[in-house]
This record gives sequence, structure tokens and C-alpha cells, in this order.
Amino acid sequence: MTTAIESDDSAAAPVLSADQAATAPDLGRRRVLRAGAALGAGALLAAPAFAQGAKKYAGVVLNVSAFSAPYQKLLRQWLPEFEAQTGIKVNFDTPSFPVYNQRVDLELSTKGSGFDVVNVTFIYSSRWIQSGWLTPLDDFIKDPGRTTADFDINDFLPGARAPETGRDGKLYGVPWTAEVTISASSRFDLVKAAGLAYPDTTDDLVRTLKAVNRKERVAGFVTDNHYGWTFPPYLHAFGGDVFRKAPDDLYPTLDTPEAIAAADYFARLLREFGPDGAVSYTPDQAVQALKAGRSNFSTLGQIYLSQVGDPASSKAAQTAAWGLVPKGPAGRFPGTAVHGYGIPVGSKNKDAAWQFIVWATSKTITRRAVAAGYGSPSRRSDIDADVFRKRQVVNGYDIAKLCTDSIELSGKQGHMKYRTVSVYPQVDQQLNKAIELIVSGQQSAAGAMKQAQAAAIAELKRAGVAV
Amino acid sequence: MAGSVSIRHAASPRGWEAERRHAFLFGLAPSLLILGAITLVPAAALLLISLTPLNLLDPAGTFRFDDPLVNYRQLLDDPRFIGSLWVQVRLSLSSVTLQLALGLAIALLLNANSRVLAAIRSVFLIPMVLPPIVVALIWKILYTPDVSPLHRALEQIGLPLRSLIANPDTALWAISIAETWQWFPFTMLMVLAALQMIPDEPLEAARIDGANRLQLFRYIVLPYIRPVLVVCALFRLIDSFKAFPLIYVLTNGGPGTVTEVTNFYGFIQAFNFSYWGYASAIAVVMLVAVLAISWSISRFKGSDGNERHD
Amino acid sequence: MNATTDTLGLPPRGSAAEHDVPALRRPGARPLAWLHRHGRVALAVVLLLVLMFPFLWLVQIAFRPAEGAFDDSLLFTPTLEAFRALLEGNFARSFANSLLVSSLSTVLSLAIGVPAAYALTRWRFRARGRVALWILITRMAPPIAFTIPFFLAYRWIGLLDTVWGLALVYLTFNLAVVIWLMQGFFEAVPAALEEAAWIDGCGVWSAFWRVTLPLAAPGVAATAVLCFIFSWNDFFYALILTRTQAVTAPVAIVNFLQYEGWEWTKIAAGGTLVMLPVVAFTLLVRKYLVRGLTAGGVKD
Repeated sequence: MTTAIESDDSAAAPVLSADQAATAPDLGRRRVLRAGAALGAGALLAAPAFAQGAKKYAGVVLNVSAFSAPYQKLLRQWLPEFEAQTGIKVNFDTPSFPVYNQRVDLELSTKGSGFDVVNVTFIYSSRWIQSGWLTPLDDFIKDPGRTTADFDINDFLPGARAPETGRDGKLYGVPWTAEVTISASSRFDLVKAAGLAYPDTTDDLVRTLKAVNRKERVAGFVTDNHYGWTFPPYLHAFGGDVFRKAPDDLYPTLDTPEAIAAADYFARLLREFGPDGAVSYTPDQAVQALKAGRSNFSTLGQIYLSQVGDPASSKAAQTAAWGLVPKGPAGRFPGTAVHGYGIPVGSKNKDAAWQFIVWATSKTITRRAVAAGYGSPSRRSDIDADVFRKRQVVNGYDIAKLCTDSIELSGKQGHMKYRTVSVYPQVDQQLNKAIELIVSGQQSAAGAMKQAQAAAIAELKRAGVAV
Repeated sequence: MAGSVSIRHAASPRGWEAERRHAFLFGLAPSLLILGAITLVPAAALLLISLTPLNLLDPAGTFRFDDPLVNYRQLLDDPRFIGSLWVQVRLSLSSVTLQLALGLAIALLLNANSRVLAAIRSVFLIPMVLPPIVVALIWKILYTPDVSPLHRALEQIGLPLRSLIANPDTALWAISIAETWQWFPFTMLMVLAALQMIPDEPLEAARIDGANRLQLFRYIVLPYIRPVLVVCALFRLIDSFKAFPLIYVLTNGGPGTVTEVTNFYGFIQAFNFSYWGYASAIAVVMLVAVLAISWSISRFKGSDGNERHD
Repeated sequence: MNATTDTLGLPPRGSAAEHDVPALRRPGARPLAWLHRHGRVALAVVLLLVLMFPFLWLVQIAFRPAEGAFDDSLLFTPTLEAFRALLEGNFARSFANSLLVSSLSTVLSLAIGVPAAYALTRWRFRARGRVALWILITRMAPPIAFTIPFFLAYRWIGLLDTVWGLALVYLTFNLAVVIWLMQGFFEAVPAALEEAAWIDGCGVWSAFWRVTLPLAAPGVAATAVLCFIFSWNDFFYALILTRTQAVTAPVAIVNFLQYEGWEWTKIAAGGTLVMLPVVAFTLLVRKYLVRGLTAGGVKD
């Protein structure tokens, strides 16, 4: 009996042999360690000391997931140090923001053990905490056996700890970022050439964009397509809001005249002054466009906009300028967000997971990150540190001050309350779709926002909220 | 050995029949049982869940049957769902038509005696067997103006093209083209096989009578392959309901909801916010549609006078 | 049916012209004659290049250095940098998972489906039409219809994020494919041969094993390859039903759609690796692939 499969001279390329697969990670790891050492070389910091000494957790495999962001990128480089000290093997998974949220929300909803450490995303924090899907961390923090004294939970900004705290007063996440939306111009030289100053109000912005749009083939304005985050500063600036009075009255107010005016304004920024295909721009694409000097103005989180001033990676470092988000008829309302690391309730390695969190948010690591150019620390000591302040002053602009001013505004005005409503993620998606529709010209601002309003009400009802 | 058993056979043909029947049952039963367990049971569960407002935020509380048709009522009222049906129809029609046309044309072209053509036939199989996610990546690169060789080449010759997937008018067509590229080999293969089975005599006779190539095609070849084309179209139609990786990677249902097919909408409802009752209702609607079309396939092939369906 | 997939009996292009007038005597005839003789092949080659361009473009990106991923120059020194970077992460593991799940699913589907297909072919019982319809539906059903109940069930049983769980789910479409295709192959085996074996005293299944299966072996191989390919290529089920342990290669690539302008070279490298087994299998078994795919669709 002949064999059924004919061999062929045009056979397949060989699949990688087991040997190659085994040695490749080691080569890579050595290289990364060298890179990591080079990064932290400036400050000869001692590696974080662990409470119980090394190798206590040898053999434990942790599944850590967070959405892809600059802080995670830095952590990934320093991960081998953590693994070497504790013996824990870390699977560090960093998908894009929407993918991350969807996956983790699904996993948490089943109280599964697929992840040991997750990022407590700002807009989901309320949903996840109130459903009891995260582990309270207070016992871990208070236990000197599991947390060293210099971890200092109170060093984290109170405003950053607040969204991570449940109604029961327990802390469910340790913040790694306090993000603030600011504005930036990557080609401020063009603005100056047009004889204009840095725009302060929404009217100024449009005037400036009209003057510089497409000069030297630089698009006027760009932002990322998470409109549920990039749009509200404008929504509030025009006097609109997401809910009538969050968190008590959750009736959506997406179709008020102010909201429609804001949507019209914002979509116009992208439609008239945005680059081709702007509606599909992810945060990374937007930052790339700014760094390469292909787009001029933007309102984004400072975690991204501060990178435009990095001479190592940004072509626009010399010509960049920064400012607060534009002020509208109703005032100035910069968006603020906090993300933290938390432990799912179904994790089987909570102790080891806590060790990871302690390491990832320890003073040593956050200081190292700030020294490497990370722009959104959540620790008071880092914000006050010289190395942060100096790094964040570029071209004469004090980005750190812009951020602290914005955080103060947010604290005073309390305009971020809508975001920590547990059903906000559903409305967030409606905002995404609505702005997408307006920018792509499929619907007018009024039509899209009315549709979003109806859909939001339907979603809230489906989620069991009485509207 | 022959003796005893053949005597057995000769002595009781009915015993042999029974033995045969048992043997066949033995071979068929495991697969029917397993198929039942993994398809009928989940389908029943799906139907059950679709009658509840099941939501994983409060699984115990929302698993109730006080209003069984709540999801279906909401579906009828849901413009996004109705829109998704419409998008699905448009995508399926355009994609299947293009696939048939391209597959047919290439099959006709490659249908000749040549080693080169035989090799080319094999290479053309590649788009169909590629993992769909790889196809999605290929077209993501081709459709992203910053990195696409097509966009850049067009720009250099002075015909800049705006992003196809960010433009609501062209996004669905962009997906349709990508799907056509992926699946035209299916039609090509089936038509090629059918072309081989066309008997020589009618063709020879027609050629002797002086028919040109076009007439040969229209009057002899086409009638022969018409059934194949229909079956092909129906298969592709049903497969087109499952389109997911392309949409997931290329447009994520957007811009707006212009590429959001029903399958994708169901996915969003189920796995973004865990509205499982509602998503189950969407899935049930899709299943019913698939059932209807599959039934018409089997009816069509049955009416073909095929001896399979007795 | 021939083993080779060719000729319709149509004469090669231009032969009529060649018979009528000696080509060289007509003015401008040489290039025209060449076109007639090789036009079909030339057009096919052009079409091949055009249609395979997207695929080739992806593959060549995988060999570029990371910074120069989209340089305009077509000439570059190929580097394996992207592949190395790829394997530093968890990609190798997801690749192994894919291999494992696909093989497991293929073996399971064949083991259960081949006897069933044989029974369906040889045994004429009344509900055959309905069984065939049921099989067709399971293959055609949208994955969303199954993922919800399977997700809940697996959560309860504990099969989420396991290789066995995925292999089991893949049975929903692979079993139907096996039964559907093998029916075609078994029908091509003349029943007379089996009847001869039965007369010689073989039982049904030993006749099957000794007579039918060897004759249908190419069909089994083609079916096995198809099952492997379908399992390997699945994205939806793997996306929903796996997390970190059993994540397969197609889902792992999506994980690269990250930050920093998307790591295109790594994505391309991942895509190239993921498609390699499938393309290799197809080219190896292409003669039987044709028969396999078309036997199921056309003959029915």
C-alpha cells in the first residue's frame, strides 16, 4: 500500500526546530537586560528589596495584562530583573486599549483565573469594583510581611487612589498613572510664522488651524479615535455633559443643543483639519503623526504628548509647544484619568500577583520611569522630584505644570464624575460611534447625537439602570 | 474460513442484513451522538438563554423568564441590528458575485494542458488556505495609506487615493475586495473540476460546425457548469455570514456602523458588555437564516435528480 | 477522473491560425504568432503576479529591518531580526498550541467521522437526507451561535483556555467536513469489491479496513489536511475560548496590533510563520486537495 501523501520537490520551508525556539528567548533576554541596565544607569539605584528575600515564588507563572501604554513598555524592559529576583515567570500581555478592555471584562465577568494582575481601566473601574470582580488590596498593603515599608501607599495622589476605591472604602487598584489631557503643537514654528500665539480658546484654535492647515503638507489637527475620551473636554467646554447629574441622575444628555454644538465643533476639527483617514487613528498612530511632524495640533493625554518633546524619537522635538485644553464658552475642562494595577478575584496566585504590583509601582521603578521620560506619574514624590520637573520642561514649556494645573481644575470642578459611573463604558462606545459618523460625513451632528442618545438610553435600560 | 461464514450468509440473508445494519449503526452512532452533544445541545441552550435578559454583571438575577420575548422585541426596535442585516446582505451579494466572476474567469483561463498552468493553478490556491487573520493583516497593510505600496505608488504617479477603509462609502467595498481575493480560488477549483467533466463530443461537433470560442462557452460550457456555479454561490453565501477577522482587523465595524455585519454586532453585544441574552437572540436569528439557506441547498441538489438523496 | 487536473480537449490557442497560413509569411506575424501560442500562459503569469502581490508583499516585510519596514526601495538586505524578536515573546508557545490543537482535532474528527461517512454511504436508511442536512447546517452555522453556550459550559466544566476544549469545539465544523468529504471518496470505491470481501467471510468493518480504506486512503489524507487547515485557521473560537495557556497562533498575532506604530515587521513575521504550515500542506497535497474540495461540492 503506497503512502497517500506525495512528496514534492517544492516542499515547505522548515518549521523552526525546538532548539531554535529554546535559545532565542535567552539571547533576547540578555540583550534586554543590557538595555535595561543602560536605561537605569544614570541613577545607580539599588534594585527594590523584597520582603521575604529572593526566589520565594520560584516556579510561579503570573499572567499580567494591561493595555499597551508607555509605562508598560518600560516595565517590559525591566521585567527580567523582577523575574530574576523572585523566580516568578511573568507573561506580560499588552493588547490595544479596546481589545484589552473587552478581553479582561469578559474574563473578569466569569471570575476566572486567566489573569493574575490586570489593569483597572478608569472607565471600567466602577463596573469591575462594584460587581465584586476585583480583590481588595488593603490586607496586602497593611501586611508588613508582604509589603515593604517604603512602598508608602500614601505617596500616591489621593485623587488617583479615589477611583480605585470601592464604595466599601477598600482599595482595589494601585495607580500607575494619573493621565491628563493637554494640548500640543508639533509644528509651532508654522504658527509663529503665521503671526499667531498658542491658541487658548476654542475659537482661537479654529482660527489657528485655518491659518496653518496643510502648510508644508502638515495636517492641522489629529487625535486618536477613542472619542469617548478625546471628545468630552470639548463637550464640557460647550456646556454639555454626558449624564444629567452623575452619579445620581444617569439620564443621558447627548442630544442637548450644547452637546450637538460640541460634537459639530470637534468633528469639524478632524474633518477639515485632520489627516487622511484620521477617523481610524489609534493613539499610537496619532503620536507617530505628531512626532514625525505630519500633523500639527492635538489634544491627547500627556502620557503621549510629552513624547513629542523627546529628541531621541521625535523629529518635532525642536518645534513643539504645549498648552492647556482649549477653553470654551462654558469653561476649561481637561480630562483626567487614572489607571491602576489590580488582582482579579479568581486569581490563583494572589500573593505573587501582589509582589508584582509592589514592584511595578515601587518608588524605584516609578522614579526610573520618570527618569526615562515617562510623563504621567501617580506618586507625589515623583511629581515633586527634580528629575521629573527637568525632563518635562521642553522648549521653555513646563508640561508638568500644565498637568498639575489641569488636575487642580478637575478636582475643583468635578467634571470627571461621569466617567466613573459603572455604566459609562456603554455610553463611551456610543460616543465613539457618533463622532465617527459625524467625522466621516455619514450623519449630521444633530442626527448622530440623537441616535447616540437613543442608543445610550437603550443600553442603560439593558444594563438595568432606571432612566 | 470461507466455508462456515458463507454458509452462514447463505443460510440467513436476513441475519446478514441485520448484522450489516448493526455494523453501520455502530459506525454511525458515535458521530451522531457527539454531533448531537456539541450542536443540538448548545443550540437548545442558546435558545433558552435568548429568552432571558442574561447579563453577567448579575447572572443569578438576570436568568429569569418573566418576559421571554424581551430580547426579540428589543431586536425589532434596534436600528443598529436592522442596519447590520442590511450591511450583511450588501456585503454577501457583492462579495459572492465578485468571487464567482473572478473564479470563473481564471478557471477558464487556466483550463488547458500545460505544466506552467498546472503550477499556477496550485499557487492560486494560496489565498483560500491562508489563515483568515493573515489575509486580514495583508489587506490592513494594503489599505493603510501610510504604509501601503498601492497608496504610495498611486501618490507618486499623481493620483493620491484617500484611505478606503476610513471612508464610509468605500469601506464595505474594500472588505468585499479583500474577501474576493481570499475566496476566488474556491470557485476556480470547482469550475475547473466541472470543466474537466464536460464530454468532448459536443465540443468537437460544435467546433467542426464553425462555432467560435464565445459561442462554445455560451451554448455548451455554461449550461454544464451552471449547477456548479449555483452550488458554489450558495456555499459562499453561507460562509460569508461568518465573516469576522477581516472586519475585526480592518474596520472594527466602522466607520460608524457601515461595515458592522450581524455576526459582528452579535460579537460586540456578547463579548463587550456581556449582554448574553440579547446576543443569543441575535445568534438565534442568524441560525434560522442559515437553516433556511441550507435547506434550500439540499432542496436544490435533491431536485437535480441526484441519486444521493433517496 | 484523472489524477492530473488538466485538459478540456480544446486545441491550444492559435492552432487554427497555424494550420491556415504559415505564420512567418504574414507581415508582423511573428509577435502575433508568439502571442497566440503563449498568450494564455503569459496572461496567466501576469495575473499570477498581480493576484499574489499582496501575499508576497507581506512576506517580504517580514525580512526587513524594523526601521526600514516601509522604505520605498525594493532592494534591501534581508534580516531575520523580526523573527528573532517574535520568538522572544510567547509566540513560539502559541505556535505549538496551534500545532497541538489542529492535530488533535484532525485525529478526533477522522476517528469519529470516517466510520460514520462509510455507514452513510453504504447504508440506505430513511433519515439519510435529514442527517445530511444536519451535517451541512453544523458546518455552516455562524460561530457566534456556538461560542456563547460553549463559553458558559466550559466555564462550568473548566475547559476554558485548554487545548482539549478547543479541539472539542472544532469538532463542530470538522466532523461535518469529514463526513461530507469521505462520503464522496467512499462512493468512488465500487461496492462490488466490498461485497466480494463479505462473500469471502469478512465482517463489515474488517472489509472496510482491508478493502475500502486503502482505496480511499488518498481521500483520507486530503480530508485530514483540510481538517488540519480549518482548525489551524480558526480565529473566532480561539479568540473567545482561550486566554493565555491555550492561545493559538492566529490570536497571538492580533496581540501584536499594539502601540508604537504597530510592529509591522513582527506582524509580518508572525503572519509568515502562521501561514507556513498551511501553505506547505497545500502544496504537498495539492493534487488530492482539488479532488477533496471539489468531490464534496460538485458531485453532490
